[in-house]
Amino acid sequence: MDLINNLQLGFATATTLTNLFFCLIGVLLGTLIGVLPGIGATATIAMLLPITFQIGDPVSSLIMLAGIYYGAQYGGSTTAILINMPGESSSAVTAIDGYQMAKRGRAGAALAIAAIGSFFAGTVSTFLVALLAPPLTVIALKFGPPEYFSLMVVGLVSSIALAHGSIVKALAMVVFGLLLGLVGTDIYTGTPRFNLGIREYSDGLNFVALAVGLFGIAEILRNLENESTREVMVKKVTNLFPTREDWKRMTPPVLRGTVLGSALGVLPGGGAILASFASYTLEKRVAKDASEFGKGAIEGVAGPESANNAAAQTSFIPLLTLGIPANPVMALMIGAMIIQGIVPGPNVATEQPALFWGIIASMWIGNLMLVVLNLPLIGLWVKLLTVPYYVLFPAIMTFCAIGVYSVNNNAYDLYAVAFFGLIGYVLVKLRCEPAPLLLGFVLGPLLEENLRRAMIISRGDPSVFVTRPISAVLLAAALAVLVVVLLPSVKKKREEVFVEES
Amino acid sequence: MKKLFAALAAAAAIGMTASYAQAQDYPTRNITVVVPFAAGGPTDTVTRLVAEAMSKDLGQQVIVENVGGAGGTLGAKQVADAENDGYTLLLHHIGMATSDTLYRNLPYKTLEAFEYVGLVTEVPMTLLGRKDLEPNDLKGLIEYAKANKDKITVANAGIGAASHLCGMLFMSSIETPLVTVPYKGTGPAMTDLLGGQVDIMCDQTTNTTKQIQGGTVKAYAVTSPARLNVLPDLPTVAESGLPNMQVAIWHGIYAPKGTDAKITERLSKSLQVALKDPNVIARFAELGTVPSPEADATPAALKAKLESEIARWKPVIDAAGQYAD
Amino acid sequence: MKPFTIDRTNGLAGALFVLVGLFFGAQALNLPIGTAFRMGPGYFPLVLSGLLILLGGFIIGSAVNTQSEEIGSFPLRGMVLILGAPILFGIFVRGLGFIPSIFITAFVASFASRKMTVPLAAIIAVALTVFAALVFLYGLELPFRPVGPWLGVR
Repeated sequence: MDLINNLQLGFATATTLTNLFFCLIGVLLGTLIGVLPGIGATATIAMLLPITFQIGDPVSSLIMLAGIYYGAQYGGSTTAILINMPGESSSAVTAIDGYQMAKRGRAGAALAIAAIGSFFAGTVSTFLVALLAPPLTVIALKFGPPEYFSLMVVGLVSSIALAHGSIVKALAMVVFGLLLGLVGTDIYTGTPRFNLGIREYSDGLNFVALAVGLFGIAEILRNLENESTREVMVKKVTNLFPTREDWKRMTPPVLRGTVLGSALGVLPGGGAILASFASYTLEKRVAKDASEFGKGAIEGVAGPESANNAAAQTSFIPLLTLGIPANPVMALMIGAMIIQGIVPGPNVATEQPALFWGIIASMWIGNLMLVVLNLPLIGLWVKLLTVPYYVLFPAIMTFCAIGVYSVNNNAYDLYAVAFFGLIGYVLVKLRCEPAPLLLGFVLGPLLEENLRRAMIISRGDPSVFVTRPISAVLLAAALAVLVVVLLPSVKKKREEVFVEES
Repeated sequence: MKKLFAALAAAAAIGMTASYAQAQDYPTRNITVVVPFAAGGPTDTVTRLVAEAMSKDLGQQVIVENVGGAGGTLGAKQVADAENDGYTLLLHHIGMATSDTLYRNLPYKTLEAFEYVGLVTEVPMTLLGRKDLEPNDLKGLIEYAKANKDKITVANAGIGAASHLCGMLFMSSIETPLVTVPYKGTGPAMTDLLGGQVDIMCDQTTNTTKQIQGGTVKAYAVTSPARLNVLPDLPTVAESGLPNMQVAIWHGIYAPKGTDAKITERLSKSLQVALKDPNVIARFAELGTVPSPEADATPAALKAKLESEIARWKPVIDAAGQYAD
Repeated sequence: MKPFTIDRTNGLAGALFVLVGLFFGAQALNLPIGTAFRMGPGYFPLVLSGLLILLGGFIIGSAVNTQSEEIGSFPLRGMVLILGAPILFGIFVRGLGFIPSIFITAFVASFASRKMTVPLAAIIAVALTVFAALVFLYGLELPFRPVGPWLGVR
């Protein structure tokens, strides 16, 4: 069978001593830099990219780069869980329940669950990549502007489920996020919008600046409120590893997250981000006790972490089969490939089978190394929580500043960090959840772009959204989610009103 | 008074010899090349390849710094403001010329803020259509476009992008305005072309060669004066009757205004050496481009190119009436 | 008749949303709106601003006649220093260079805690500076200037 031959070739390539070594170095470096607060996967990879150029052999260099990618992703989840600092949009969801678990002294379990869930999802999706790359690509190409628009609508509607407070407030936060996402330049006309005349913001606000400010800095400020009562983030750290009960609870979310993530990751542009949000929504919907979400639900870590790792894996599909980057990280990979003399495109698999399958095999090996490497390190990471505030805060602020600045060398991104730190803190004070805002921010430009693009291509006929089958199905799904989400809360509201009146 | 004057003169002389000595010893530390785009893009790739080869010749590391944003104007502005000691350079593409018209309130004067080092490469463009687009050659495409001008959509990667410029040039050379569909970046635009959501796109060979070779898109013409080695079957625009669509995404290296001519000469020599580096030639070839000839990798050639390109694009952009300020 | 009460957190949250909506809406009005076929840059933001103002109004409305816990105090000192730290880094990194900027950022952020003393802050800042310089400047060779032109170093 072709697949087996191909995988054999891949593993033969990836398991040479040199390549294993570079994979290990990549995973290690990626984790070490990615775990610094405020430095997400994109920044980590951009920083480490030049190192991979030093390696002569393109296969080894790309294997190392893939290792860096997984390491950085996992490092980003680690800071999301430990100090509420997601360095990447996909780990923003992990921060919601992961950080709450950490606060309850269950940081070790949260980190282990994230690692194990990621590994499982990585394993499954690696095989999906090997098996289904070509057919999945065909599906991805069926997604035109109307389908993307409808997909974004599904994402936004389900984001309401992220909040565990008032639905109206969550909606308002989504809209706030959508508006913030529009800051910059209108790509259709080149008109600058909402950038207050500052040219440095003409490409939009920096995501990392927004996430670090809204989540991380707001959290630091909240901790400074009652400094006298607490010295460290968490006093007690109970059992480091998941209990039998945890295992039982995490298995179904990991499975569901893997499926969702693998499917959405193939779609270029926003797919991977939607995957973790969608998985969270799904888990909250199917959970017996949804009220636990936002307060440290294991399912809220296991599902999204598996989903985002599966999506990270399958986002290689458009890169390897079409030569099209699905996200900024993949764009960096393309640059690295070109410098190594490989121009990614539809022919890579046939022209350079050793490289193509070698990378796929090394994905799995990289994931394996990640688990092996990180499970023992969890104890070390968790110790970070016992570092006193007055040491931790300057360290966080310093690395944030370096991380945010290094992406574009733009000082205005740092000013945005401060501004969103303030906004984030005020919003927390007013009991508004930041997660829906972040999703709105990520999806805002995509939603508008695809809406306008769809209207241009259809010559102003809005019926495209319902006459194209994929789009129609997605919109129906959005409607269904909306009904399901709103019905119980409407009922609850009524009951509350009744209680008050009686 | 006399003494003071003499002291001043002496100080000035010392200062001059110091700066002379500086130019003589140049370079004594790492040089930073600013790329006004994100890491990983085609311009970044070109820069990293050339920077590595130049490092070997200069004996100092040439480090790449990505300062993306606002169509490359943020990075250009930063170099315009940098010290003119030869340790901060800019590698920019055709956008250096087009942004002069596209941005009506540029914070620097394109022709006055820089010294020139030389041209690096001129990347040709290819005119593409979706795989199942009816016409099979450029002549057919032009007729088809004129007959269906309300139906045909032209994708581009955003205002000021290579694909935007080339699309504008195509419409102006066939004197037919078509419906433009902008994207954020080449990736999504190419995806929709592959998926048949849009009809035409024109982009650098850097982004299109593999797609054309793989047969996932239909290629109509290449905008270079001669056919390309990597795509020998693809006719040029001149062969197909659109000679004024000859265009290339040229890249040049600049230094801040007032940089010592000895330094720019030294850099230019080093660039010429780098452009003969076998690795650079091989990598460029895979991207469907070639290094600029020695005569073009000079300050004078780049200056002339910039001036002529500003003049060439101004009417095209003004006719499209779209600005990015 | 009941005395007028309002849930202050929700009231303020609603007001904030209305303000943000007005802020974006006012600017969107100055942008071309376009048609549904060719939407202008103002179309989508205007719709969103309107929606946000509505939602904000609704939140204010539902806050009336209910009461909730207090908003609580703001740690002003911490806010100034923590939010100031990245701003200072942004201002100084080009002029003073990477090393001095890191030191200033870490030093200032240290004082967000009321328990901080000058010697301790200095130790923390020096340690962070050394670590950051080793990792980012020498380990990863990021293109930052170690010491900048404002200090007379060329």
